[in-house]
Amino acid sequence: MSLLEVEDLEVYYETEDGPAQAVDGVSFELEEGENLGIVGESGCGKTTLAKSIIGILPDAGYVNGGEIRFKGDDLTDMTGAQRRRLKWEEISMVAQSAMNSLDPVYTIREQIVEAIETHRPGTGRTESTEIVTEMFELVGLDPDRADDYPHQFSGGMRQRAMIAMALALEPSLILADEPTTALDVIMQDQILKRMGKIQDEVNSSMLVITHDVSVVAETCDRVLVMYAGKVAEEGPVEEIFGQPYHPYTIGLKRAFPNIRKPTQDLLSIAGYPPELVDPPTGCRFAERCPMATDRCREEEPEAHQMNGLRSYCHYAEDIDTELRPYADNPETWSQTAAARKAETGNVGGD
Amino acid sequence: MGKASFVVRRTLQLVVTLWAVGTVLFGLFRLMPGDPTSYVVSSQMTQEARRQIIESYGLNEPLYVQYIKFLQNLVVLDFGQSFHSNQPVTQVIATYLPNTLVLMLTAFIAAYTIGITLGVLSGWYRGSRFERSTVITALTARSVPTFYVGLIVLWIFGAELGVIPMSGMTSLGTQNAGFWEMVFSVDFLQHLLAPALVLGFYFMGYPLLIMRSSMLEVLSEDFIDVCRAKGLKERTIMFKHAARNAMLPVVTAAAIALGYAVGGSVLIETVFAWPGIGREMVRAVLRRDFPVAQGTFIVLAATIIILNFVADLAYGYLDPRVTYD
Repeated sequence: MSLLEVEDLEVYYETEDGPAQAVDGVSFELEEGENLGIVGESGCGKTTLAKSIIGILPDAGYVNGGEIRFKGDDLTDMTGAQRRRLKWEEISMVAQSAMNSLDPVYTIREQIVEAIETHRPGTGRTESTEIVTEMFELVGLDPDRADDYPHQFSGGMRQRAMIAMALALEPSLILADEPTTALDVIMQDQILKRMGKIQDEVNSSMLVITHDVSVVAETCDRVLVMYAGKVAEEGPVEEIFGQPYHPYTIGLKRAFPNIRKPTQDLLSIAGYPPELVDPPTGCRFAERCPMATDRCREEEPEAHQMNGLRSYCHYAEDIDTELRPYADNPETWSQTAAARKAETGNVGGD
Repeated sequence: MGKASFVVRRTLQLVVTLWAVGTVLFGLFRLMPGDPTSYVVSSQMTQEARRQIIESYGLNEPLYVQYIKFLQNLVVLDFGQSFHSNQPVTQVIATYLPNTLVLMLTAFIAAYTIGITLGVLSGWYRGSRFERSTVITALTARSVPTFYVGLIVLWIFGAELGVIPMSGMTSLGTQNAGFWEMVFSVDFLQHLLAPALVLGFYFMGYPLLIMRSSMLEVLSEDFIDVCRAKGLKERTIMFKHAARNAMLPVVTAAAIALGYAVGGSVLIETVFAWPGIGREMVRAVLRRDFPVAQGTFIVLAATIIILNFVADLAYGYLDPRVTYD
C-alpha cells in the first residue's frame, strides 16, 4: 500500500459560467519516504491538487469525483472532524508564498505550540518548548528567537520558521507548494538541501509543487507533469527530463536553460492553456502541440507505459522513432507560433 | 525610540492640543454676539451695582488678563462659576457627565460587542443570506438619524403603548441615596432602555461594517490557509486568528467614535430629556452661561483627544508590528 494514492481525482470550482475543471482525472501514487514533484504552468491545477489533498479547498472548490487514499483511507469520504485529526499530524504543508503564511500577531513559538496543542492536547510546556527548540535547530534558526514575531524575521528566516512548523509533528507527508519561489537562489539552495536532510531524519514523503524544473531536479525522485488539469506525463526525474515521451514535457524542458548546452536558445511554447470551464475534447495540449493531428483533437489520450514513464500522448510509442528529432528542433515550436499568428490573422480578416 | 518616550511625546502633544482647544473656546465665546452680563445684570440695577457684579466676574479686565486667568484656572481644572446657578462649573459637570457616561457607555459597549461579533460572522459567511441582511441592517442603522428613531420609539412605545417612560432618567419624585443606587434601580433601567437601544442601534453599524471588510481582507491572507491546514477548529480560526487581525482598524475607530459619542450626545439627550452633559451644554449656550458652556465644551473635547491617545497606545499593544518611532 502506498502512502498516498490519488485516483481519477476531479476537483472543480464553481464559476458563473459553470464548473471549472481545475483538476480532471488525475491519478498518481506516492510511496513512503519518496518525493514527487508536480510541475506545470500557472493555472494547471497543481495548487488545487495540493489543497484538495490537505483539505483546504476554498468554498467554491469541491471534489467532484475520484479518491484520495491516504494510508488506505479515502480522505474524500471523511467527515470534517476526521480530516482535521489528520491535518498537520499526518499531512502538513509549506504554503505558497510562505513569507505571508505566519499570523503577524502571534510569535513563532505560539504558532508552533498551537499546532502541537491542537493535535496533542496535554502536551506539557517543557515538551513543546523542546519540540520548538529541536525544530528551530533542524532548520538552522536560533531557538532563542522563537519568541520573535514574524515581522522580526527576514524572508529566508520566515520560510525556515514555516518549515519548522510544518515538521513539528513529524508528519508522514509534507506538501510544499512553491517552497522557495520567494527566495534568492542561494537561500533557495540552502533551504532545499536542508529540507532534504531533514526529510531523511523524519522519513516523511514530500509533494513538491513548483513551476521551477530545477527545484524538482534537486529534490525529487519522481515527477508528474500537469497540463490544464490533467496529467501529461509521469515518471522518474532522470527519465522525464532525459527522454520525455510527451511533447509538452519536451517543450517545457526546452523552456529552461540547460547547463550542458548553455548556448541553446530557450523556447517558449506559443499560445495559452485552454479554458477549464468548457475544455476542448481530445488532448488538452493539442491546440499548442506542433505535432497534433486530428486524432489528438478528437480523442482523449490514454496512458502509455514507456520506459518507466507514463505518458498521456497518442503517439508516445512513435516519439522515439519519428517525433523526437522534430520536437527537439526549436524551429518546430516557433513555426507553430508563426502559423498560429497567421491563422488568427485570417480569422480576424474574415 | 521606545515606548516610554513615545508616551511622553504623545502626552506633550495632548497638552498642546488641549491648550489650542481652550484658546479657541475662549475666543469663540467672546466673539459671540450678545452680552454675557445681560443674564446676571438686570436693567433695573444701578450703575454701581452693575459695575460691581461685572467686576466680581472679572469681565471688566482686559481680554489678555482674562485669557491668562482662564489658562491658569484651566490647569487646576477650575472653570469658574456658573452665571446661572452660581455653582462651580466643575460641580455642574460632575452632576451631568456621569449621566451621559452611563447612557453612552451602555449603548456603546452593547453596540460594539454585538457589532463586532456580527461583523466577524458576516465577513466569515460571505455571500450568505445572513451577511446580506446584516449589511442592510447596518447601513439602515447608520443612515437614519438617532433623533428621528428616538421620536418614533417614543411615539410608539411611550405614547401609544405606554411601555416605556416618556422622558427623564428617573420617575418624578424618586429619591435615591446615591448615584450608583440610582443606576442599579429598576426605575432607572426602565428609563435607560429606550435611549440606550436607539443609540446602540445607531452605533452598531460602524464597527460592523469596518469589521466585515477588515475580515474579508484578512481571510484572503495566506496564513488563514495555513491555520486551516493546521487542523484548527473553525471557531479558533474565526476568532483567534481572523478576528484578532481584523480588530486592529476597529480599535482605532472605536476610540474615536467613543469620543464623539460623548460629544454627540446632544440630540438623543434632548429627545429623551436625559439630564446629560450634552443637553446642559446647549442650555448653557442659550443662556449665555459662558463658564458652563466653556467647561462642558472642554470636557467633551478633552474626552475625544484623550481617547485618541488611548487608541494609539492600544494599537501598539494589539499589533506587534507597530513601532514607536
